[in-house]
This record gives sequence, structure tokens and C-alpha cells, in this order.
Amino acid sequence: MVGVGYALAHHGELLQGTFEEDAGRRRRALVTLPLPGWGSRAVFYPGHYDDIACRPELTKSRRAAILTLHELRRHTSPVPGGQIEITSNVPHGVGMGSSTSDVTATIRAVASHHGVALSREEVGRLAVQAESASDSIMFDDRVVLFANRDGLMLESLGHRLPPLAVVGANTDPGATVDTLRRPSARYHDDELARFRVLRAGLRRAVATGDVALLGRVATASARINQRFLPKPSLPDLIELSRRLGGAGVQVAHSGTVAGLIFDARQPGIEETVSECKAAIEMLGLPLTAVIGIDRVDHAFTPEQVGFGLAVAAFGHNSSGGRPDSHAEVPV
Amino acid sequence: MGIRTSSPESAEAYQLPRLVRLAPNLYAACFTLMKLVPARYILRRAAEEGLLGPETVIVETTSGTFGLALAMQAVHLNRKLVLVSDPVIDDRLLRRLTDLGTVVEKVGAETGSQVGGYQAARLSRLAEIRANHPDSFCPEQYTNPDNPRSYAVVAELLVEALGQVDCVVGPVGSGGSMCGAATSLRSVFPECQAVGVDTPGSLLFGHEDRPRSLRGLGMSVMPDNLDHRVFDSVHWCSASAAYLATRQLHQRHALFMGPTSGAAYLVARWWARTNSEALTVVMLPDEGYRYLDTVYDDQWLTTEGHRHAPLPSEPTEVDRPAYSDEVWTWYAWQRRSYAEVMSGAEALARSS
Repeated sequence: MVGVGYALAHHGELLQGTFEEDAGRRRRALVTLPLPGWGSRAVFYPGHYDDIACRPELTKSRRAAILTLHELRRHTSPVPGGQIEITSNVPHGVGMGSSTSDVTATIRAVASHHGVALSREEVGRLAVQAESASDSIMFDDRVVLFANRDGLMLESLGHRLPPLAVVGANTDPGATVDTLRRPSARYHDDELARFRVLRAGLRRAVATGDVALLGRVATASARINQRFLPKPSLPDLIELSRRLGGAGVQVAHSGTVAGLIFDARQPGIEETVSECKAAIEMLGLPLTAVIGIDRVDHAFTPEQVGFGLAVAAFGHNSSGGRPDSHAEVPV
Repeated sequence: MGIRTSSPESAEAYQLPRLVRLAPNLYAACFTLMKLVPARYILRRAAEEGLLGPETVIVETTSGTFGLALAMQAVHLNRKLVLVSDPVIDDRLLRRLTDLGTVVEKVGAETGSQVGGYQAARLSRLAEIRANHPDSFCPEQYTNPDNPRSYAVVAELLVEALGQVDCVVGPVGSGGSMCGAATSLRSVFPECQAVGVDTPGSLLFGHEDRPRSLRGLGMSVMPDNLDHRVFDSVHWCSASAAYLATRQLHQRHALFMGPTSGAAYLVARWWARTNSEALTVVMLPDEGYRYLDTVYDDQWLTTEGHRHAPLPSEPTEVDRPAYSDEVWTWYAWQRRSYAEVMSGAEALARSS
């Protein structure tokens, strides 16, 4: 029997930086903004040979499968190897987590074949081992501050994000960013101090459902990141958010996408989102995704539009609660 | 996460303020000893960076609570501390410092009337001590950027507990707490207002240096850590106003704080009342024990002439920062540099 695993993509981060833990230890960490409707589906075909076969570009997924088989020895007698196939609708190199999505789906597929439910913490650790730096998409039941190079959850900020509407854009169409080849951001002491405050702000925003505060934290994080991976249109997007009564702007800290954050509960949100989409196009930026607005009349799958525009819902209505790890991703 | 835990050191347990609501839009950050925030941060950073060897002597000039905070942290770090103080150091503070193992050196009483007063004399004595102790570390609260930076830990608490903070009010000495807290808060809330509280005859915000009776507020030397561009407005409270407000804070809210807290409370109460939509936080830096025989003694207040006039309900706005004997004045500083404000004030003085 084959094993199947799914994982979501994301639309960059709400917060990314270096955070001081107890005993003065510092860790790089992030809070991912999940992107329902986008993701990867991995299928594991067990084999009797001691290797993992897959398309040559899937080196990280191959490594993830090998690590997972090794890990599974603690639970069961895993098969020696097999084949991995991945289907994904996540674009590469724009900061939408295509790689972690593939890797996480692979780990889940291999574990699923063996009937083992790995914890999200275990999946996170394996993903980082496989690809050196991961986002936190495997934590699909919580909002977490995830040490993306250590594979550790530093803090659970809450059960789920408040109801957000995010209008996403690609700030640098055509460009791609290789997360691992990029030099890591080196933050100075004032920035480390700011990250303490931003972390506290996000903690409160998630706990109290305060979208305005969440948006301010995301904007501040995006601004700090300008020193490392500048998005020339960020000031325009922040100004647009202000003009439309938005909460702020989030970015992919290792990519080119950015999103305007609105409170999905605010009156007239559908009109505001339409206005926002038009304004972003006026800026000459291609739209990537709209998160959080449930528009049945326009429900199309990403498959139909490719990397154009996906409409997906999460967080704020009964049909769109954050999907669990095995929710069907339309691919 | 989520459960309350113990502190490994008393300085950690004491450093963060309690947050108390005083009015619908006014919250007090009540510190036991606010200076623990920079003292702890600076010394721990120095230890991390290998600047505090086993024989390193920590030296600093202070006659106030920063010295006490250093002394507490020095106990935790097991390091020797030498403090250069002036002759009017509070006797109870002196006994506490000595009990913590600190060596306190006093400069001569005659230096008080010289240029720069005790503060200048202390700085020159500090330089002498450092020259004689090659293995020494000076926290330099007036110039060390770690002083303002350390207050991120307070901003963190404020943001988590209160959300959006629209204004922070507090007394200004080294500039560390107000510049640090306001700058940290502005990383999330750029429009957050900063209201500084000073006292007449302090040169921090442009008064000429004069003898002042209010301890812990005002300076005779300009500290580098005071970034004037942080401040939206500045208030000058007389000693009498600060003392009476300290008592009101105690009588109305059962908050037993020192007189710099009283001055800050007076200003914050007015600011929050006139900006009723703005969530305001007031920094109250230390407790009242050292002032039981003075500020908290009616007889002393009368004898010293602090009860002649009732506390004004609002400040007088002034068009330039200059010494006056008014009880309570304020000036719209508008986040300008010291030079900008003072050149504007000179022009005004010439035209009038």
C-alpha cells in the first residue's frame, strides 16, 4: 500500500528574526502565514531496495524520506526504501515554502505508509535535518514561533490566527531567492531588542484576536527585513494598506511575495479586498493569492489558474477552519 | 509555557514593573527598582562578552538607585563594585550598599559648589580610579547604548499586557528608560508619544543648571543617552509639586512610590485626562521607603515650605525652555534635537 502525505504552502511570514531565549541564547525563528489551497502531495511507493528513488531535483525530499525511514525505526520496522512522487502547485523561489511543503508531505507520506503518526515536533525536526532551514507549516494545529534552523518550536502563540484577509502580491516577478544560498540576516542589538517587543505583540495579537496589532507586528518585521532582502515596493504597499484601512503588510523574509493584511470581520471587507487587488495591479505587481475571503461564486482551484490567483479560506468560518495535517489539498 | 516559574536571581525577580490601572486610559508601571533593568542587562552583557573576569572591578559613579541595582547584580555575579558618590548620599542607601559588599567613595563636600557640581567631580574621580585599576569595567549608564536598549524588556511587557500604547510618560535622568521604552514601543507603534518629566534648573531640556532640591530628577551634566528627538513634549515639575503628587498617588491609589514617580504621575494624570482616547503608561521608577522621613512626613513638608500652594490642576505652557520658578510648566518639544530647539528659543529671546 502506498503512503500519501499532504502539506500546505505559505505566503511568507508574519514575523521573522532572532529571538533571545533564557540564558542569553539566541535563535533564528519565524511565524509562518499558512496558505490554504496551495501545497504539495507526496506519494511513497515502498520498495525492497535500500534507496529512495525520485526525480533528481527532489534532493531535499529524498533526504527527508531517508531520515524518516531511519526515524521510524524507533516505532516500527520500516521498509528499506522506495520511491517518492510529488505533485505541487507551489511556485519555487518566491518565499511560499515550496521546499518545506514538499519535504513535509514526503515525511508524512513515508510515516503514513507505516501507519505511524509522527508528532508535529518530530516532523519539524526531520524537515530541518533534511533541508537545513524550514518554515513551520507542519504545525497545522497551532500558531508557533519556530526556530527554522534548529527545528525547534520555541513558543506556541495560540490555537489559531485571528480571522485575516490577506491580499498577496509578488513584489519582484521573475526573481527567485535561494533560501540557503542567501547569507543569513545579521541583526544588530537594537533589532534584537525590537524582536522582543514584536514577539510580545504577536503573542497578544493571537491570544486576543487583535488583527490590528498583528498587522503592526508584521509591518515592523517587514521593515527590519528591508536591510537584508529589500522589497522596493514595500513603502507603496504600506501606504496602500494605510489608505484602505488595512492592518499592515507581511512579507516573505526569504522570498519576493508580500501581502496586505485586513481584518476579515470588518464591514465591507469584500469591497476592500477588490479595491486592494485593483490597486496592487495599478502598482504593476502580479497578485499571488487572496487568503481568508470565502467567495463561492469564484471558487476555482489553483490548478485552473496556475500561479495566478487562488482563493482560499481559513481561520474564520466553519468550512474553512485550519485544515488538519491530512486535509485534502487541491493539486 | 503558561505556567508561572521561579526566578534564579532576585535581580530578575525585581526588575519588571507591576502594571496597575489608575484611570480608564492610564496605567502605571510600578517598579521596585527600575535601574535593575539597565544594571542587569549591562552587566550580563559584559559577562557574556568576557569583559568581567574573576578579578575585574566594576566601577561607576552614582549616588542613587543605579548604584543599588549594580550592587545587587554584582552579588549575583560575585564581582567587586566600587561606587563614586557625592557626600549627600542617603544614609540608608549607603548602609544597604555596604551590606551588599560595595565600596562607596564620596567626593569632597566642597565640589558641590564648583562648576558641574558633584556630578562633574564624581566623573573625574571615576577616571582616576579607572586609571589605577587596569582590570575594571564601567557600565557608563550615561553613555552606554545598552542602557536604553535594556528597556525593550519593559516595552515587551507593556505590549503584551496592554496592546497598543499611545503615550509613555516618565521622569528623565540618564535618558535610558524614556528613550529606550519609547523607541522600543515605536518599533510597533511609530506614533506613540513620549512625554519627558524634568525639574526646573536641570539642563537636560535647556534650563540653566541651578541647585535643585528634588533628588533623582534633573541633571547638571548632559548624558549622551538622552536622545532629545524622542520627546514630543517636556514638563518641568518643581520639588513641591512632585512631593504633593507623590502623596496623592499614595492616598488615592495606595501606590507607595518615590517623588520622581509623583512628578511623573502628576504629568501623566493630566495628559491622560486631556487625551482621553489615548492609552497612556506612566513609569514609576522606585518605591517610597527612602522618603518616609521627608516626602511622607507632613511636618517635614511644612517646614521645607512645600505646602504653601495647592497642586495646580494643569501646567502652564511655555514658548521656550528656560528656567522659571513656576510650579509646573510644559513645552511642545516635537521630537526635535536639542540644537534645533535651543536655536529656535534663542531667536525667540532676541525678538522679545
